[in-house]
Amino acid sequence: MTIRVAFAQLTSCWGCDQSLMDLHMRLLEVLPQLEILYWPAVVDYKLADLEALPRNSIHVGFVEGSCRTEEDVHLLNVMREKSKLLVAWGSCSCYGGVQGLANIWPLAELVERKFQRAETITDARVPDVNVPPFTEHIVPNPDRVKFDMILPGCPPTSDNIYDIVVALLTGAPFELPETTVCDQCPRKREEKHITRFKRTFEGKPDPEKCLLDQGYLCLGFATIGLCGAQCPSANSPCKGCFGPPPSVKDHGAKIISALGAIADIDPEELKKMFPDPVGSFYFTDYAASYLAKIGAKKREER
Amino acid sequence: MADEKVIRIEPVTRLEGHGDVTIKLGKDGKVKDVQFNVTSTRFFEKFLEGRFAEEVPRIAERICGICPVPHHLASVKAVEAAWNVTPPPAAIKVRRLLINAKQLSSHGLHFFALAAPDFLAGPFAKPSKRNVVAIIKALPDVGKLALQVMQYGQDLVAAIGGKAIHPVTAVPGGLLNPFSEEKRDRFLKMMSGLKEWMAQTLDLARRVIEDYWDPVTKLAVVPTYYVGTHDKGALEIYDGKIRVMDPEGKIVADFKPKDYRKYFGEYVPDHSYATHIYYKPVGYPDGTWRANTLARCNVADKMKTPLAQEALEEMRERLGRPIHATFAYHWARVIEMIQAMEEIDLLLKDPDIVSTDVKLSDVEPKRGDGVGCVEAPRGTLIHHYWTDERGIVTRVNLIVGTNNNISGIEKSLFEAARQIFEQKAHESLKLPEPMIK
Repeated sequence: MTIRVAFAQLTSCWGCDQSLMDLHMRLLEVLPQLEILYWPAVVDYKLADLEALPRNSIHVGFVEGSCRTEEDVHLLNVMREKSKLLVAWGSCSCYGGVQGLANIWPLAELVERKFQRAETITDARVPDVNVPPFTEHIVPNPDRVKFDMILPGCPPTSDNIYDIVVALLTGAPFELPETTVCDQCPRKREEKHITRFKRTFEGKPDPEKCLLDQGYLCLGFATIGLCGAQCPSANSPCKGCFGPPPSVKDHGAKIISALGAIADIDPEELKKMFPDPVGSFYFTDYAASYLAKIGAKKREER
Repeated sequence: MADEKVIRIEPVTRLEGHGDVTIKLGKDGKVKDVQFNVTSTRFFEKFLEGRFAEEVPRIAERICGICPVPHHLASVKAVEAAWNVTPPPAAIKVRRLLINAKQLSSHGLHFFALAAPDFLAGPFAKPSKRNVVAIIKALPDVGKLALQVMQYGQDLVAAIGGKAIHPVTAVPGGLLNPFSEEKRDRFLKMMSGLKEWMAQTLDLARRVIEDYWDPVTKLAVVPTYYVGTHDKGALEIYDGKIRVMDPEGKIVADFKPKDYRKYFGEYVPDHSYATHIYYKPVGYPDGTWRANTLARCNVADKMKTPLAQEALEEMRERLGRPIHATFAYHWARVIEMIQAMEEIDLLLKDPDIVSTDVKLSDVEPKRGDGVGCVEAPRGTLIHHYWTDERGIVTRVNLIVGTNNNISGIEKSLFEAARQIFEQKAHESLKLPEPMIK
C-alpha cells in the first residue's frame, strides 16, 4: 500500500531533507510506497495546495525546523490540521534546534545585530515588506501543537529516517531508546579521574580511549543513543545534538549534575572552565530548557 | 486595460532556504517590480557570540544542510587566522579532499534533484511529474546516475568528517580525525566508476543544453559583475584570492580575503531577510554581482585540472567569456563537478592524505580577529570572527555564499518576467519534447 505523506520545512537548514536524500539507493525501495502531497524541497506543490487538502487527509506529516516567523507558525498549524499522524523531524522541530541559542537575547537585539550593525551593512534597515514578522522566542514545536512521534537529531541519520518510514509503512512500533551514545560507542572506558577539562584544540585525543576519560567534554553519557556514536567514532566529542533520552526532561541540567559527580573538580573551578554553559550543555535544545523558559517568562513580565 | 496584478509564488520550491517571489504587473501589463522574498533568518551573527571559538565550526555549519562543509572550513580558518595558527600540510590536503567531496555531492544534488526536473519533464509539466522522485521512476538510468554521484560525495564527506551532514573533524590547528588507508582504498576503488558517471553526466548536460539552446541563450540573460576565488588564475575553492569581473569581462579587483570589507557591501532590502551582497566600490544596485558556478568560471582564467579545462573550453567556445546566460549556471556546475572529481582523484593518490600528522597540539587562543574564506557551492563564503584572550567569540560577521546572488536573482527574475508577461516568450521559445511525458 502507499501512504500519503507531506514534508514541511519551518525555519531550518535543509539538513533533514539532505539526510532523507542520503538514503540514495534505498530511496528506490521507499519512494514508490509514498504518495507525496507536499514537499517544497523537492516537489513543486505550493502552500495553497497544502491548505486546500481536507482535514486529516495526510497519513503522515513530517515537520522539520522551528518557528522563527509567524509564517512558520501558520504552516505548523496547517500541518497539524491536515495530518492524521504528525512527526517532529529533527532537533529543530523537537527542541528548537541550534537557533534556540538566540533565546539568550531579546528579539530586538538579534534584529539590530543582523540588519543594522553587521560590519558590511551599508544601509541599515529592518525589512518589513512581504516578509512575515518574527516570533519573540524559539519555542519547541511540541509546545505549540500536539505531535504523535518525535525523531530528534541534527540531523537524524539516514538510517533513523529509514527505520521510521519502514515502521510507518508496516505499522510496526517506533520507540525512542532509553540508551545513550555511550552504549553505542566503541571506545574503551576506564575509571574517571578528571581533574581538568581540555578544549578540543589541546593535545591529541587517543583514538581508542573514552574521550571523557581523557578530559574532553563528550556528552555521550547524557545523549540519546540513536546516532550510532558518529562523533566519538570520528575522534570528536559528542555535543549532544540528538538531545537527551526520553526520560530526561532537561538535557543541560542532567549534564551539569552528572559532571559534578564525574569530575574531581571543585564546583567553582568547574564553573570557571565553562564560561558558556548554554552553548556547552544545550547545543540544540536550549529552547526546551527550564532556563530558557524562565528567561522568556521574565522578559514577557518586563 | 487590465487591473494591476500581484503574482505570488509561495513558496519557491526546490530551493534550500525559504523564499517567495512577488511579481507586480501594472495596468498596462508591464512588469513593475519583482521581489525575491527570503522569509526567514536565524541570527547566527548574534548567537555565535559567547561560544568557545573552537566549537563554532560545529555550530556555524548549521547555516546550511546542503553545504555544511564550506561553513565548517571557513569557520575553522577564521579562528586559525584570529589565533595565528597554521595547520600541518597533511591536514590542509584532507580539508581539500573534504570540500571537493562536498562540491561533488552538492552540485550533484543541485543539478539532478533541484534543477533537472525542469529540463527532463519540461517547464510545463505537472508538479507530480516535475521532480526528482518522478525522474527516478520514469528515467531509472538517470535516477541511478544521480544517486551514485551524490552518494560518492556524501559518503566521502562522512568518511572524512564523521558525519555526511554537519561534519565534526576540523578544529583550530588541523583535524581531530586522520583519514585512514582503508577508507582511502575504498574510495580509490570506486574512482573508475565515478569517472564513468561524470562522463555520462556531462553527456546529459550537453544534450540538455542542445535541447534548450533557445531558452539558454535568450531567457534571463543579464549582465552583472561576478565574484569568485582563484589561485594563480585557476578556479579554486579552498584557499585563494578573490577576483571581481565587471559586466564587460574586465577584472576590476583581485585581493586577499582578509581585505573583503573594502569590496563586499551588504544592502538590506525592505522585502527580504537575506541581504543583497554587492560590489561596494560601485554602489547598489549598479554593483550587483553574482557568485556561484558560472561566476567562478567567468573570473577564473582556467580550470585546475585537464578534463574540467576541456569542458570549460567547450562552454567558452559556445558562449564566450564572460557568460551572462543564467541557465549556463547548470553547465558551469557540471564543469566544476568534473574538477572536483579530478581533485579528489589526485588527493586520494597523494600519500600524505593518510598521514596521522593532521593536528597541532600546542594551539593557544588569543585576542584578535580573523577572516576565513572558501568557495561554497553557491558562492564566496566569508566568516569573520573576533575572539577574546580566552578564545571566546565576541563578534561575528558573515558573508553567506547565496546572498552574493540575490540581487542578481532579482535581476534575472525581472528580465524573465518581462520576457514572459510582456513578450510571451514562453510561446515563441523553441522547447524540446520532454524526456519524461
